[in-house]
Amino acid sequence: MMATSPGCAHCGAALESREERFCCTGCEMAYAIIQGAGLGRYYEEREACAPRPGVTPSGWMAVPTTHCPGGAEEVRLQVDGLRCASCVWVIEQVLERTPGVEQVMISYATGRASIRWDPRRIDLTALAGRIAALGYRPRALGEESAPDRDLMLRLGVAAFCAMNLMLLYASLYTGWFNVMDPRFSALFRWLSLLLATPVALWCAEPFFVGAIAGLRRRVLHMDLPIALGVAILYVHGAIATFTGHEGYLDSLGMLVALLLAGRMLESRGRRRAVEAAMSLAATAPRTARRQAGTALQTVNAADLRAGDLIDVGHGEEFAADGVITEGAGQVRMALLTGEAEPVAVVPGDRVVAGSILLDGALTVQVEAVGSETMLSRMAAQLEQAADRGMRPTAADRIAPWFTGATLVIATLTCVGWWLTRGMDVAITRTVAVLVVACPCALALSQPLAAAAGLGAAARRGLLFRSADALLDLGDVDLVAFDKTGTVTAGTMTVLEAEDGALRIAAGLERYSMHPIARAIVEEAINRDIALPRGEDVREEVSIGVRGRVDGVQWQLGTGGPGSLLLRDGTGREHRIRLGDAIRPDAAGTVQQLEAQGLSVALVTGDHVEVAERIAVAAGIETVVARCGPEQKARWIAEQQRMGHRVLFAGDGLNDGPALAAADVGIAMGSGAASSVLVADGVIARPSLAPILAARRAARACAQIIRSNQRRSLTYNVVAVSAAAAGFVNPLVAALLMPLSSGLVIWGALRVERLVKKGDA
Amino acid sequence: MNAVIFLLPIALVLGGVFALLFLRAVKKGQFDDLDDPPRRMLQEKD
Repeated sequence: MMATSPGCAHCGAALESREERFCCTGCEMAYAIIQGAGLGRYYEEREACAPRPGVTPSGWMAVPTTHCPGGAEEVRLQVDGLRCASCVWVIEQVLERTPGVEQVMISYATGRASIRWDPRRIDLTALAGRIAALGYRPRALGEESAPDRDLMLRLGVAAFCAMNLMLLYASLYTGWFNVMDPRFSALFRWLSLLLATPVALWCAEPFFVGAIAGLRRRVLHMDLPIALGVAILYVHGAIATFTGHEGYLDSLGMLVALLLAGRMLESRGRRRAVEAAMSLAATAPRTARRQAGTALQTVNAADLRAGDLIDVGHGEEFAADGVITEGAGQVRMALLTGEAEPVAVVPGDRVVAGSILLDGALTVQVEAVGSETMLSRMAAQLEQAADRGMRPTAADRIAPWFTGATLVIATLTCVGWWLTRGMDVAITRTVAVLVVACPCALALSQPLAAAAGLGAAARRGLLFRSADALLDLGDVDLVAFDKTGTVTAGTMTVLEAEDGALRIAAGLERYSMHPIARAIVEEAINRDIALPRGEDVREEVSIGVRGRVDGVQWQLGTGGPGSLLLRDGTGREHRIRLGDAIRPDAAGTVQQLEAQGLSVALVTGDHVEVAERIAVAAGIETVVARCGPEQKARWIAEQQRMGHRVLFAGDGLNDGPALAAADVGIAMGSGAASSVLVADGVIARPSLAPILAARRAARACAQIIRSNQRRSLTYNVVAVSAAAAGFVNPLVAALLMPLSSGLVIWGALRVERLVKKGDA
Repeated sequence: MNAVIFLLPIALVLGGVFALLFLRAVKKGQFDDLDDPPRRMLQEKD
């Protein structure tokens, strides 16, 4: 497992001595829980080390649950930190062995957990605590739509009927050459009509609904020619059955089944992307410690009232907007302002919900809670701004022309043959024209390629909400990045420190959950430094940490902006520089975007000097500094007026307006939940490179859609001319139609291959 | 050949039974998640 040293038995982190088995008490507890439940096999079978246990969550009493018959409760959670299938196994097993738990199901693919338990024996807080104690992070999920079973049902029925229709019609067609007993052909025809009826009347219903909805809004939707085709196929088939001829009923079955399969693929692809984006937006429920007389009580954030006094300790998130009445500290407001640099606050200052107290302890008088907080109001505004409505797809744009042309040709065919050969011939050939004109392949060309494109982008780390947004990404010519949390990692990291100093600092900070402490410990682990054990460690507000390491007394405190000073009593001093480091792949991504002929800009609310420094490191030439949220959006609008198609990538709530204004807005999955909700796409990894891969997917997707449309239109032109000339009968139609659809399906399969070619 | 007159409807009815079973499976949610069960199958349950 860990090659360098035996490491912590649970999380694999480096240890200071061979005698020790665990890096911290958290890991020791997690190990004890797993072994205690008799699940030691986990350690042998897992493919990746476990995450290090974090803070035990609280406040789960506020999470909405479903009541089941028999008094049980059920909840759906998002579980983060799953690294391999063994993680799922161990959580499920531990929970199932917890008294009171009735059923646990966790999906490794999505991280969704559904848990059913008996509320009289255990509560949700305890269950969430169990998951957290193992090192995984449970979060509450919002409302979710039920999976689309309706489409699956229709597809199943259509496929069943289509295959049987094909069987019956194959016999009828062979009967043409080898004269069939009329009793059999009658039986086959009536059975075919029986099978075709549910297909036309029930399975194809979504197309009729879509066509009628389109007509009501005075749009000629792609569903209209399809509905028209299905109606004519069925009516003609029914009449043919009564008069003792073959209709096109086999084509009808296949057509509907293929179209439904295309819809199904598209809706599954989109649903998966939306679900994944929603998981990134799931949040931990918030609690607050409210002063009640001399005591403190832990309450849900939702139960706070204006005027309440709450205590906030270091590392905690503010649960409400308010004014500081006591204490001092450093607050990180990255979520709202996008700035990683903490702000010092004193009594009288305002703080807002969602920011984090990095340092110190405060008492805050609550002013606004819940939907009244700045955070919620901004999020609500953003969601309104981002609601762009449905954009018409390329196929929808062709649909009116297509329908018009078909109707004109059908009329001409009808009139032409009526005048020359009489009524009967005219009707047969007009029906043939309308049948082969049914744009099955054309309607399939977009959803199949789109589903393939969305999937290809998602596998490479960029989740798109819709295929339209993905296609827009291919046309972008200006890429604007936010700085903090996008080009940079957005968290504190150690930029510069000597190994010796880092070792001592990590020894002092190893038990702290403070972000700076975590950064120091993480860096020490990354450098493979065995952590010493700090003794008599005391944290003191505004001074820092004191304690003994290797028998020497040390003090770790602030050393000016962006650095810490490690001192012992004798005047020895070491400086540790901390800051927000640029993402390792940022420069490479920028370079490749520029190589593709795109302009790249850094748009940030930060000072010019800081922005310049990051821009130089990332290789970005254009810098727009000191931009508020509205200014970012305005800058983007300006570029759009100049003819640019703009991609904006950002992570904070302050980036929301810009994300909504850009042609394509991409949020970082690690960013504010609301920015994830308003963006067109979300990067699910701590990296910028998925943008490049998604661009390749977008271009491959657009290319395939274009060539598919060319193919299906060519097919339609050829087939309609043949039908108008009288060369098409039911057998020819049954051969032509799957041929054209097959070409389109084969085209869609090439998307992934095209994208893969660019991966290397 | 006359057997076809009986066999064909019987075959269709049989097929119909399977189609109904499929409908029932969809309604019970067996097709809601197509990604996880294949993975779960590889894990021993004790």
